[in-house]
Amino acid sequence: MAVCTGCSLLCDDIELEFEDGKISLTKNLCRKGEGRYRSLREDRLVPAVDGAKVGFDEAISRAAELLGDAENPLLFGWSNSSLEAQRIGIDLAKKLGATIDDTSSFCQGYLMEKVLRGEYPTCTLDEVRNFADVLIYWGSDPSSSQPRHMSRFSYFPRGEKRQRGYDEDRTAIAIDVRKSPTVVIAADGFFRIPPGGDAEFIEALLAALGGKIPKVKDKKMKKKILKLGSTLRKAEFGVVFPGLGLIYSLKDEIDKLTPLITRLNEVSSYKLIPMVGHYNMRGFNQTLLEETGHINRVSFKDGVEHGTQFAVTEAVNDCDALMVIGSDLISALPAAISKKLARIPTVAIDPHRNLTTDMARVTIPSAISGLEAGGSALRMDGVKVEFEPVIKSGYRSDVEILSRIMEAV
Amino acid sequence: MAKVEVTIVTYRDIFQEEAKEIGRYSDEYRDLSALILLDRGDMKLIKTEDGQTVQVETDGGMVVVTARLSEEDEEHPGLAFMPNSPWSNQLVSEDTGTSKIPEFKRIKAEVSATDKDVDTISELVERIRADY
Repeated sequence: MAVCTGCSLLCDDIELEFEDGKISLTKNLCRKGEGRYRSLREDRLVPAVDGAKVGFDEAISRAAELLGDAENPLLFGWSNSSLEAQRIGIDLAKKLGATIDDTSSFCQGYLMEKVLRGEYPTCTLDEVRNFADVLIYWGSDPSSSQPRHMSRFSYFPRGEKRQRGYDEDRTAIAIDVRKSPTVVIAADGFFRIPPGGDAEFIEALLAALGGKIPKVKDKKMKKKILKLGSTLRKAEFGVVFPGLGLIYSLKDEIDKLTPLITRLNEVSSYKLIPMVGHYNMRGFNQTLLEETGHINRVSFKDGVEHGTQFAVTEAVNDCDALMVIGSDLISALPAAISKKLARIPTVAIDPHRNLTTDMARVTIPSAISGLEAGGSALRMDGVKVEFEPVIKSGYRSDVEILSRIMEAV
Repeated sequence: MAKVEVTIVTYRDIFQEEAKEIGRYSDEYRDLSALILLDRGDMKLIKTEDGQTVQVETDGGMVVVTARLSEEDEEHPGLAFMPNSPWSNQLVSEDTGTSKIPEFKRIKAEVSATDKDVDTISELVERIRADY
Protein backbone atom coordinates (compact mmCIF):
# COMPACT_ATOMS: atom_id res chain seq x y z
CA MET A 1 0.00 0.00 0.00
CA ALA A 2 1.22 3.49 -0.80
CA VAL A 3 0.37 6.82 0.83
CA CYS A 4 -0.94 9.65 -1.32
CA THR A 5 0.40 13.11 -0.45
CA GLY A 6 -2.12 14.87 -2.68
CA CYS A 7 -3.90 16.41 0.32
CA SER A 8 -3.95 16.31 4.10
CA LEU A 9 -6.01 13.11 4.25
CA LEU A 10 -2.81 11.17 3.46
CA CYS A 11 -4.81 8.21 2.14
CA ASP A 12 -2.80 5.11 3.03
CA ASP A 13 -4.76 2.55 1.01
CA ILE A 14 -3.37 3.26 -2.45
CA GLU A 15 -2.80 0.03 -4.37
CA LEU A 16 -0.25 -0.03 -7.15
CA GLU A 17 0.79 -2.40 -9.87
CA PHE A 18 4.09 -2.09 -11.72
CA GLU A 19 5.40 -2.94 -15.16
CA ASP A 20 9.08 -2.46 -16.06
CA GLY A 21 9.63 -0.43 -12.90
CA LYS A 22 6.83 1.98 -13.76
CA ILE A 23 3.37 2.30 -12.21
CA SER A 24 0.91 0.62 -14.57
CA LEU A 25 -2.25 0.64 -12.45
CA THR A 26 -3.49 2.51 -9.38
CA LYS A 27 -6.49 1.80 -7.17
CA ASN A 28 -8.28 4.02 -4.66
CA LEU A 29 -6.77 7.32 -5.79
CA CYS A 30 -9.14 10.29 -6.06
CA ARG A 31 -8.95 12.57 -9.08
CA LYS A 32 -6.56 14.93 -7.28
CA GLY A 33 -4.31 12.08 -6.16
CA GLU A 34 -4.36 10.67 -9.68
CA GLY A 35 -3.13 14.07 -10.87
CA ARG A 36 -0.23 13.89 -8.42
CA TYR A 37 0.72 10.43 -9.69
CA ARG A 38 0.49 11.55 -13.31
CA SER A 39 2.73 14.50 -12.48
CA LEU A 40 5.63 12.07 -12.12
CA ARG A 41 6.16 12.47 -15.83
CA GLU A 42 5.14 16.10 -16.31
CA ASP A 43 7.04 19.39 -16.12
CA ARG A 44 9.83 18.14 -13.85
CA LEU A 45 12.22 20.81 -12.67
CA VAL A 46 15.91 20.80 -13.59
CA PRO A 47 18.82 22.19 -11.54
CA ALA A 48 19.59 25.65 -12.91
CA VAL A 49 21.25 28.94 -12.07
CA ASP A 50 20.03 32.12 -13.79
CA GLY A 51 18.12 30.01 -16.30
CA ALA A 52 21.13 27.88 -17.33
CA LYS A 53 21.11 24.18 -16.50
CA VAL A 54 23.82 23.19 -14.01
CA GLY A 55 24.76 20.10 -12.02
CA PHE A 56 23.03 19.33 -8.72
CA ASP A 57 26.16 20.18 -6.69
CA GLU A 58 26.53 23.55 -8.40
CA ALA A 59 22.88 24.39 -7.69
CA ILE A 60 23.34 23.50 -4.00
CA SER A 61 26.48 25.58 -3.73
CA ARG A 62 24.88 28.63 -5.40
CA ALA A 63 21.80 28.28 -3.19
CA ALA A 64 23.96 28.20 -0.06
CA GLU A 65 25.89 31.24 -1.29
CA LEU A 66 22.73 33.21 -2.04
CA LEU A 67 21.18 32.44 1.35
CA GLY A 68 24.41 32.71 3.35
CA ASP A 69 25.27 36.15 1.97
CA ALA A 70 21.84 37.61 2.76
CA GLU A 71 21.11 39.91 5.68
CA ASN A 72 17.44 38.99 5.93
CA PRO A 73 16.69 35.65 4.29
CA LEU A 74 13.14 34.29 4.29
CA LEU A 75 12.48 30.55 4.13
CA PHE A 76 8.96 29.76 2.96
CA GLY A 77 6.83 26.77 2.00
CA TRP A 78 7.08 23.60 4.13
CA SER A 79 3.48 22.33 3.86
CA ASN A 80 4.51 19.89 1.11
CA SER A 81 7.58 18.59 2.94
CA SER A 82 7.94 15.71 5.38
CA LEU A 83 8.29 16.24 9.14
CA GLU A 84 11.94 15.27 8.82
CA ALA A 85 12.57 17.91 6.15
CA GLN A 86 10.68 20.52 8.17
CA ARG A 87 12.95 19.93 11.17
CA ILE A 88 16.05 20.50 9.04
CA GLY A 89 14.38 23.58 7.56
CA ILE A 90 13.84 25.06 11.01
CA ASP A 91 17.49 24.32 11.89
CA LEU A 92 18.56 25.99 8.66
CA ALA A 93 16.51 29.06 9.54
CA LYS A 94 18.21 29.16 12.95
CA LYS A 95 21.66 28.84 11.40
CA LEU A 96 20.93 31.63 8.92
CA GLY A 97 19.14 33.87 11.44
CA ALA A 98 16.31 33.78 8.91
CA THR A 99 12.58 34.37 8.96
CA ILE A 100 10.55 31.20 8.48
CA ASP A 101 6.90 31.00 7.47
CA ASP A 102 4.58 28.52 5.80
CA THR A 103 1.38 28.44 3.77
CA SER A 104 -0.75 28.47 6.96
CA SER A 105 0.25 32.15 7.20
CA PHE A 106 -2.38 33.00 4.57
CA CYS A 107 -4.47 29.87 5.01
CA GLN A 108 -5.62 27.94 8.12
CA GLY A 109 -3.05 29.40 10.56
CA TYR A 110 -5.31 31.39 12.90
CA LEU A 111 -7.60 28.40 13.40
CA MET A 112 -4.86 25.76 13.51
CA GLU A 113 -3.19 27.66 16.34
CA LYS A 114 -6.38 27.36 18.43
CA VAL A 115 -6.48 23.62 17.83
CA LEU A 116 -2.79 23.01 18.50
CA ARG A 117 -2.92 25.03 21.72
CA GLY A 118 -5.90 22.96 22.88
CA GLU A 119 -8.31 25.91 22.88
CA TYR A 120 -10.75 24.12 20.58
CA PRO A 121 -11.66 20.47 21.20
CA THR A 122 -10.62 18.17 18.40
CA CYS A 123 -10.60 14.48 17.53
CA THR A 124 -9.26 12.09 14.93
CA LEU A 125 -10.92 11.29 11.62
CA ASP A 126 -11.17 7.67 12.77
CA GLU A 127 -13.31 8.85 15.71
CA VAL A 128 -15.40 10.81 13.22
CA ARG A 129 -15.99 7.65 11.18
CA ASN A 130 -16.89 5.58 14.23
CA PHE A 131 -18.93 8.03 16.29
CA ALA A 132 -19.89 11.30 14.58
CA ASP A 133 -23.57 11.84 13.78
CA VAL A 134 -23.73 15.56 12.94
CA LEU A 135 -21.18 16.97 10.49
CA ILE A 136 -20.88 20.67 9.79
CA TYR A 137 -18.92 21.57 6.65
CA TRP A 138 -18.47 25.29 7.14
CA GLY A 139 -16.92 27.16 4.24
CA SER A 140 -15.28 23.90 3.28
CA ASP A 141 -15.79 21.73 0.22
CA PRO A 142 -14.15 18.35 0.78
CA SER A 143 -15.65 17.00 -2.45
CA SER A 144 -13.28 19.34 -4.28
CA SER A 145 -10.34 19.80 -1.91
CA GLN A 146 -10.09 16.62 0.20
CA PRO A 147 -12.02 14.36 -2.16
CA ARG A 148 -12.16 11.19 -0.04
CA HIS A 149 -12.99 12.94 3.25
CA MET A 150 -16.69 12.15 3.07
CA SER A 151 -16.26 8.59 1.77
CA ARG A 152 -13.41 7.44 4.02
CA PHE A 153 -14.27 9.24 7.22
CA SER A 154 -17.02 11.73 7.69
CA TYR A 155 -20.32 11.05 5.94
CA PHE A 156 -20.72 7.88 3.87
CA PRO A 157 -18.93 5.13 5.80
CA ARG A 158 -20.45 2.90 8.43
CA GLY A 159 -18.64 3.11 11.75
CA GLU A 160 -18.62 1.43 15.15
CA LYS A 161 -21.61 3.39 16.43
CA ARG A 162 -22.86 4.46 13.04
CA GLN A 163 -23.76 1.14 11.48
CA ARG A 164 -26.38 2.63 9.19
CA GLY A 165 -23.97 5.18 7.69
CA TYR A 166 -25.27 8.29 6.02
CA ASP A 167 -28.69 6.80 5.25
CA GLU A 168 -29.94 7.17 8.79
CA ASP A 169 -27.05 7.72 11.17
CA ARG A 170 -25.46 10.92 9.96
CA THR A 171 -26.67 14.44 9.23
CA ALA A 172 -24.60 16.68 6.96
CA ILE A 173 -24.84 20.45 7.30
CA ALA A 174 -23.12 22.70 4.75
CA ILE A 175 -22.75 26.43 5.36
CA ASP A 176 -21.50 28.15 2.24
CA VAL A 177 -21.90 31.07 -0.13
CA ARG A 178 -22.26 28.81 -3.16
CA LYS A 179 -23.70 25.49 -4.23
CA SER A 180 -20.49 23.49 -4.02
CA PRO A 181 -20.36 19.73 -4.75
CA THR A 182 -20.39 19.17 -0.97
CA VAL A 183 -23.52 21.31 -0.68
CA VAL A 184 -25.20 19.07 -3.27
CA ILE A 185 -24.51 16.05 -1.04
CA ALA A 186 -25.74 17.84 2.11
CA ALA A 187 -28.93 18.79 0.17
CA ASP A 188 -31.50 19.99 2.75
CA GLY A 189 -28.69 20.70 5.20
CA PHE A 190 -27.47 23.61 3.05
CA PHE A 191 -27.42 27.09 4.57
CA ARG A 192 -26.57 29.78 2.05
CA ILE A 193 -24.90 32.82 3.57
CA PRO A 194 -23.67 36.02 1.90
CA PRO A 195 -19.89 36.55 1.49
CA GLY A 196 -18.57 37.61 4.88
CA GLY A 197 -21.83 36.57 6.55
CA ASP A 198 -20.21 33.98 8.84
CA ALA A 199 -20.06 36.12 12.00
CA GLU A 200 -23.76 36.92 11.61
CA PHE A 201 -24.56 33.24 11.11
CA ILE A 202 -22.62 32.40 14.28
CA GLU A 203 -24.81 34.91 16.16
CA ALA A 204 -27.97 33.41 14.66
CA LEU A 205 -26.90 29.90 15.63
CA LEU A 206 -26.07 31.00 19.16
CA ALA A 207 -29.57 32.47 19.45
CA ALA A 208 -31.17 29.29 18.11
CA LEU A 209 -29.14 27.13 20.50
CA GLY A 210 -30.30 29.34 23.37
CA GLY A 211 -33.95 28.94 22.36
CA LYS A 212 -34.17 32.53 21.11
CA ILE A 213 -35.39 33.77 17.73
CA PRO A 214 -32.38 34.43 15.50
CA LYS A 215 -32.09 37.96 14.10
CA VAL A 216 -32.41 37.01 10.46
CA LYS A 217 -34.55 38.95 7.97
CA ASP A 218 -35.55 36.01 5.77
CA LYS A 219 -38.46 34.18 7.43
CA LYS A 220 -37.70 30.83 5.80
CA MET A 221 -34.08 31.05 6.89
CA LYS A 222 -35.14 32.01 10.43
CA LYS A 223 -37.26 28.88 10.66
CA LYS A 224 -34.51 26.77 9.15
CA ILE A 225 -31.92 28.04 11.64
CA LEU A 226 -34.27 27.31 14.55
CA LYS A 227 -34.63 23.76 13.26
CA LEU A 228 -30.85 23.54 12.89
CA GLY A 229 -30.48 24.59 16.54
CA SER A 230 -32.67 21.66 17.49
CA THR A 231 -30.65 19.24 15.29
CA LEU A 232 -27.40 20.46 16.81
CA ARG A 233 -28.71 20.04 20.36
CA LYS A 234 -29.76 16.46 19.67
CA ALA A 235 -26.33 15.43 18.32
CA GLU A 236 -24.40 12.79 20.21
CA PHE A 237 -21.05 13.56 18.60
CA GLY A 238 -20.87 16.61 16.38
CA VAL A 239 -17.90 17.75 14.33
CA VAL A 240 -17.23 21.11 12.67
CA PHE A 241 -15.02 21.06 9.58
CA PRO A 242 -14.05 24.70 8.91
CA GLY A 243 -12.60 25.56 5.52
CA LEU A 244 -11.11 28.64 3.95
CA GLY A 245 -14.57 30.15 3.47
CA LEU A 246 -14.95 30.52 7.24
CA ILE A 247 -11.28 31.33 7.92
CA TYR A 248 -11.08 34.10 5.30
CA SER A 249 -14.32 35.56 6.57
CA LEU A 250 -13.07 35.81 10.18
CA LYS A 251 -9.26 35.91 9.70
CA ASP A 252 -7.64 37.33 12.87
CA GLU A 253 -11.10 37.61 14.44
CA ILE A 254 -11.30 33.83 14.69
CA ASP A 255 -12.25 34.31 18.37
CA LYS A 256 -15.76 35.09 17.12
CA LEU A 257 -16.10 31.35 16.66
CA THR A 258 -15.21 30.59 20.30
CA PRO A 259 -18.64 31.28 21.91
CA LEU A 260 -20.27 28.92 19.41
CA ILE A 261 -17.79 26.09 20.06
CA THR A 262 -18.28 26.64 23.81
CA ARG A 263 -22.08 26.69 23.50
CA LEU A 264 -22.15 23.58 21.30
CA ASN A 265 -20.20 21.76 24.00
CA GLU A 266 -22.68 22.88 26.64
CA VAL A 267 -25.61 21.37 24.76
CA SER A 268 -23.76 18.30 23.46
CA SER A 269 -20.25 17.15 22.47
CA TYR A 270 -18.62 18.89 19.51
CA LYS A 271 -15.12 18.70 18.02
CA LEU A 272 -13.42 20.70 15.30
CA ILE A 273 -10.98 19.60 12.60
CA PRO A 274 -9.54 22.31 10.31
CA MET A 275 -9.85 21.31 6.65
CA VAL A 276 -6.18 21.59 5.82
CA GLY A 277 -5.22 21.49 2.14
CA HIS A 278 -1.51 20.67 1.82
CA TYR A 279 -0.43 17.29 3.09
CA ASN A 280 1.78 18.41 5.97
CA MET A 281 0.81 21.96 6.91
CA ARG A 282 -0.24 20.74 10.34
CA GLY A 283 3.11 19.00 10.71
CA PHE A 284 5.02 22.23 10.18
CA ASN A 285 2.78 24.15 12.56
CA GLN A 286 3.15 21.49 15.26
CA THR A 287 6.94 21.22 14.81
CA LEU A 288 7.54 24.97 14.87
CA LEU A 289 5.25 25.30 17.90
CA GLU A 290 7.32 22.72 19.77
CA GLU A 291 10.56 24.46 18.78
CA THR A 292 9.58 28.09 19.29
CA GLY A 293 6.14 28.36 20.90
CA HIS A 294 4.68 29.71 17.63
CA ILE A 295 3.08 27.92 14.68
CA ASN A 296 4.32 30.24 11.90
CA ARG A 297 5.70 33.76 11.22
CA VAL A 298 8.94 33.38 13.19
CA SER A 299 12.27 35.19 12.90
CA PHE A 300 15.51 33.75 14.27
CA LYS A 301 17.50 36.93 13.60
CA ASP A 302 17.62 37.91 17.24
CA GLY A 303 16.67 34.84 19.25
CA VAL A 304 13.06 33.84 18.55
CA GLU A 305 10.68 36.59 17.50
CA HIS A 306 7.12 36.18 16.29
CA GLY A 307 4.67 38.62 14.76
CA THR A 308 2.67 39.68 11.74
CA GLN A 309 5.77 41.45 10.38
CA PHE A 310 7.18 37.97 9.75
CA ALA A 311 4.16 36.84 7.71
CA VAL A 312 5.33 36.16 4.16
CA THR A 313 3.03 38.89 2.82
CA GLU A 314 4.91 41.42 4.99
CA ALA A 315 8.38 39.88 5.22
CA VAL A 316 8.61 40.16 1.45
CA ASN A 317 9.13 43.91 1.94
CA ASP A 318 12.35 43.46 3.94
CA CYS A 319 13.93 40.21 2.85
CA ASP A 320 16.94 40.17 0.53
CA ALA A 321 16.92 36.44 -0.27
CA LEU A 322 14.11 33.94 -0.45
CA MET A 323 14.01 30.17 -0.39
CA VAL A 324 10.71 28.56 -1.40
CA ILE A 325 10.25 24.84 -0.91
CA GLY A 326 7.26 22.88 -2.21
CA SER A 327 5.09 25.91 -2.89
CA ASP A 328 4.21 27.99 -5.92
CA LEU A 329 4.16 31.24 -4.00
CA ILE A 330 4.03 33.47 -7.09
CA SER A 331 0.82 31.73 -8.19
CA ALA A 332 -0.70 31.74 -4.74
CA LEU A 333 -0.35 35.40 -3.78
CA PRO A 334 -1.90 38.59 -5.21
CA ALA A 335 -0.01 39.80 -8.29
CA ALA A 336 1.01 43.02 -6.52
CA ILE A 337 2.83 40.99 -3.85
CA SER A 338 4.19 38.55 -6.45
CA LYS A 339 5.79 41.50 -8.24
CA LYS A 340 7.79 42.18 -5.08
CA LEU A 341 8.68 38.50 -4.79
CA ALA A 342 9.90 38.46 -8.38
CA ARG A 343 12.56 41.06 -7.50
CA ILE A 344 14.03 38.99 -4.64
CA PRO A 345 16.88 36.59 -5.42
CA THR A 346 15.21 33.23 -4.93
CA VAL A 347 16.12 29.59 -4.47
CA ALA A 348 13.19 27.33 -5.45
CA ILE A 349 13.08 23.67 -4.46
CA ASP A 350 10.22 21.75 -6.05
CA PRO A 351 9.48 18.57 -7.97
CA HIS A 352 7.93 20.60 -10.79
CA ARG A 353 8.33 23.70 -12.84
CA ASN A 354 5.93 26.45 -11.78
CA LEU A 355 5.70 30.25 -11.76
CA THR A 356 7.95 30.53 -8.72
CA THR A 357 10.65 28.28 -10.13
CA ASP A 358 10.52 30.20 -13.41
CA MET A 359 11.36 33.42 -11.57
CA ALA A 360 13.97 31.89 -9.27
CA ARG A 361 17.69 32.47 -9.65
CA VAL A 362 18.49 28.95 -8.45
CA THR A 363 16.24 25.93 -8.97
CA ILE A 364 16.71 22.55 -7.34
CA PRO A 365 14.49 19.64 -8.39
CA SER A 366 13.18 17.41 -5.63
CA ALA A 367 11.53 14.02 -5.25
CA ILE A 368 7.76 13.75 -4.83
CA SER A 369 6.90 12.67 -1.26
CA GLY A 370 5.15 9.34 -1.01
CA LEU A 371 6.18 8.42 -4.54
CA GLU A 372 9.91 9.01 -4.81
CA ALA A 373 10.76 9.87 -1.19
CA GLY A 374 9.76 8.50 2.18
CA GLY A 375 9.18 10.21 5.49
CA SER A 376 6.31 11.06 7.78
CA ALA A 377 3.63 13.71 8.07
CA LEU A 378 0.71 14.79 10.24
CA ARG A 379 -2.72 14.23 8.73
CA MET A 380 -5.23 17.09 9.09
CA ASP A 381 -6.37 15.57 12.41
CA GLY A 382 -2.82 15.28 13.79
CA VAL A 383 -2.41 11.53 13.25
CA LYS A 384 1.15 10.74 12.18
CA VAL A 385 1.37 8.85 8.89
CA GLU A 386 4.61 7.28 7.65
CA PHE A 387 5.30 6.66 4.00
CA GLU A 388 7.90 4.89 1.90
CA PRO A 389 9.03 5.68 -1.62
CA VAL A 390 7.25 3.40 -4.10
CA ILE A 391 9.42 3.96 -7.15
CA LYS A 392 13.09 4.57 -7.74
CA SER A 393 14.10 7.91 -9.18
CA GLY A 394 17.19 10.05 -9.41
CA TYR A 395 15.51 12.94 -7.61
CA ARG A 396 16.76 13.85 -4.14
CA SER A 397 14.43 14.19 -1.17
CA ASP A 398 13.88 17.53 0.56
CA VAL A 399 15.81 16.06 3.50
CA GLU A 400 18.88 15.48 1.37
CA ILE A 401 18.65 18.84 -0.40
CA LEU A 402 18.23 20.79 2.85
CA SER A 403 21.00 18.84 4.58
CA ARG A 404 23.36 19.66 1.71
CA ILE A 405 22.45 23.36 1.82
CA MET A 406 22.88 23.30 5.60
CA GLU A 407 26.39 21.84 5.25
CA ALA A 408 27.33 24.33 2.55
CA VAL A 409 26.11 27.48 4.31
CA MET B 1 -19.02 49.53 -22.80
CA ALA B 2 -21.50 48.37 -20.14
CA LYS B 3 -19.95 47.29 -16.86
CA VAL B 4 -21.34 45.40 -13.91
CA GLU B 5 -19.99 45.61 -10.38
CA VAL B 6 -19.55 42.27 -8.64
CA THR B 7 -18.05 40.71 -5.54
CA ILE B 8 -15.97 37.73 -6.60
CA VAL B 9 -15.72 34.70 -4.33
CA THR B 10 -12.96 32.27 -5.25
CA TYR B 11 -13.35 28.53 -4.88
CA ARG B 12 -11.55 25.24 -5.51
CA ASP B 13 -12.63 22.83 -8.23
CA ILE B 14 -11.47 19.22 -8.29
CA PHE B 15 -10.95 19.13 -12.06
CA GLN B 16 -8.84 22.28 -11.84
CA GLU B 17 -6.97 20.87 -8.82
CA GLU B 18 -6.14 17.78 -10.87
CA ALA B 19 -4.95 19.91 -13.78
CA LYS B 20 -2.83 21.97 -11.36
CA GLU B 21 -1.08 18.84 -10.13
CA ILE B 22 -0.13 17.98 -13.68
CA GLY B 23 1.14 21.41 -14.65
CA ARG B 24 0.53 25.14 -14.34
CA TYR B 25 1.39 25.72 -17.99
CA SER B 26 -1.06 23.34 -19.59
CA ASP B 27 -3.99 24.50 -21.73
CA GLU B 28 -6.23 22.35 -19.54
CA TYR B 29 -5.21 24.26 -16.41
CA ARG B 30 -5.89 27.56 -18.16
CA ASP B 31 -9.29 26.40 -19.46
CA LEU B 32 -10.33 25.32 -15.96
CA SER B 33 -8.87 28.37 -14.19
CA ALA B 34 -9.41 31.45 -16.36
CA LEU B 35 -13.16 31.58 -15.70
CA ILE B 36 -15.74 33.73 -14.03
CA LEU B 37 -19.19 32.37 -13.20
CA LEU B 38 -21.78 35.11 -13.54
CA ASP B 39 -25.43 35.52 -12.69
CA ARG B 40 -27.72 35.36 -15.73
CA GLY B 41 -28.97 38.92 -15.16
CA ASP B 42 -25.44 40.29 -14.85
CA MET B 43 -24.51 38.61 -18.13
CA LYS B 44 -27.44 40.29 -19.82
CA LEU B 45 -26.44 43.68 -18.38
CA ILE B 46 -23.03 43.52 -20.02
CA LYS B 47 -24.43 41.86 -23.16
CA THR B 48 -22.30 38.77 -22.96
CA GLU B 49 -23.03 35.07 -23.24
CA ASP B 50 -21.75 31.84 -21.80
CA GLY B 51 -18.34 31.07 -23.33
CA GLN B 52 -17.47 34.64 -24.38
CA THR B 53 -14.55 36.52 -22.90
CA VAL B 54 -14.90 39.30 -20.33
CA GLN B 55 -12.49 41.78 -18.83
CA VAL B 56 -12.42 41.79 -15.03
CA GLU B 57 -10.87 44.80 -13.36
CA THR B 58 -10.08 45.82 -9.79
CA ASP B 59 -7.84 48.39 -8.13
CA GLY B 60 -5.31 45.56 -7.91
CA GLY B 61 -5.23 44.53 -11.56
CA MET B 62 -6.99 43.33 -14.67
CA VAL B 63 -7.51 39.98 -16.35
CA VAL B 64 -9.36 38.57 -19.36
CA VAL B 65 -11.19 35.31 -18.69
CA THR B 66 -14.10 33.28 -20.08
CA ALA B 67 -17.58 34.09 -18.76
CA ARG B 68 -19.70 31.13 -17.72
CA LEU B 69 -23.31 31.09 -16.65
CA SER B 70 -23.46 30.24 -12.96
CA GLU B 71 -25.28 27.02 -12.10
CA GLU B 72 -26.59 28.27 -8.76
CA ASP B 73 -30.29 27.54 -8.13
CA GLU B 74 -31.00 31.07 -6.97
CA GLU B 75 -30.31 34.35 -8.72
CA HIS B 76 -27.27 36.15 -7.32
CA PRO B 77 -26.86 39.54 -9.00
CA GLY B 78 -23.62 41.25 -8.02
CA LEU B 79 -22.04 37.99 -6.89
CA ALA B 80 -19.60 36.08 -9.10
CA PHE B 81 -17.33 33.10 -8.64
CA MET B 82 -13.82 32.31 -9.90
CA PRO B 83 -11.61 29.26 -9.33
CA ASN B 84 -8.65 30.21 -7.15
CA SER B 85 -5.69 30.57 -9.52
CA PRO B 86 -3.06 33.00 -10.80
CA TRP B 87 -5.90 34.58 -12.85
CA SER B 88 -8.02 35.41 -9.80
CA ASN B 89 -4.86 36.50 -7.97
CA GLN B 90 -4.28 39.23 -10.58
CA LEU B 91 -7.32 40.92 -9.06
CA VAL B 92 -6.60 40.57 -5.33
CA SER B 93 -5.47 43.70 -3.50
CA GLU B 94 -2.07 43.73 -1.81
CA ASP B 95 -3.74 45.30 1.25
CA THR B 96 -3.76 42.52 3.82
CA GLY B 97 -5.13 44.46 6.81
CA THR B 98 -4.25 43.44 10.36
CA SER B 99 -4.40 39.70 9.65
CA LYS B 100 -1.84 39.92 6.81
CA ILE B 101 -4.06 37.55 4.82
CA PRO B 102 -5.06 38.88 1.39
CA GLU B 103 -8.77 39.22 0.58
CA PHE B 104 -8.95 36.14 -1.65
CA LYS B 105 -12.69 35.57 -1.27
CA ARG B 106 -14.29 39.00 -1.41
CA ILE B 107 -12.88 40.75 -4.45
CA LYS B 108 -14.73 43.89 -5.58
CA ALA B 109 -14.49 44.06 -9.35
CA GLU B 110 -16.00 45.46 -12.53
CA VAL B 111 -16.81 43.09 -15.38
CA SER B 112 -17.33 44.08 -19.01
CA ALA B 113 -17.56 42.27 -22.33
CA THR B 114 -14.43 42.27 -24.49
CA ASP B 115 -13.21 40.84 -27.74
CA LYS B 116 -9.74 40.16 -26.29
CA ASP B 117 -8.50 36.58 -25.86
CA VAL B 118 -8.19 34.91 -22.48
CA ASP B 119 -4.87 35.83 -20.85
CA THR B 120 -2.32 33.05 -21.06
CA ILE B 121 -0.26 32.15 -18.02
CA SER B 122 2.82 33.41 -19.86
CA GLU B 123 1.17 36.81 -20.18
CA LEU B 124 0.44 36.84 -16.44
CA VAL B 125 4.09 35.96 -15.75
CA GLU B 126 5.26 38.78 -18.04
CA ARG B 127 3.09 41.26 -16.15
CA ILE B 128 4.48 40.11 -12.82
CA ARG B 129 8.01 40.43 -14.19
CA ALA B 130 7.35 43.79 -15.85
CA ASP B 131 8.47 45.82 -12.85
CA TYR B 132 11.84 44.10 -12.59
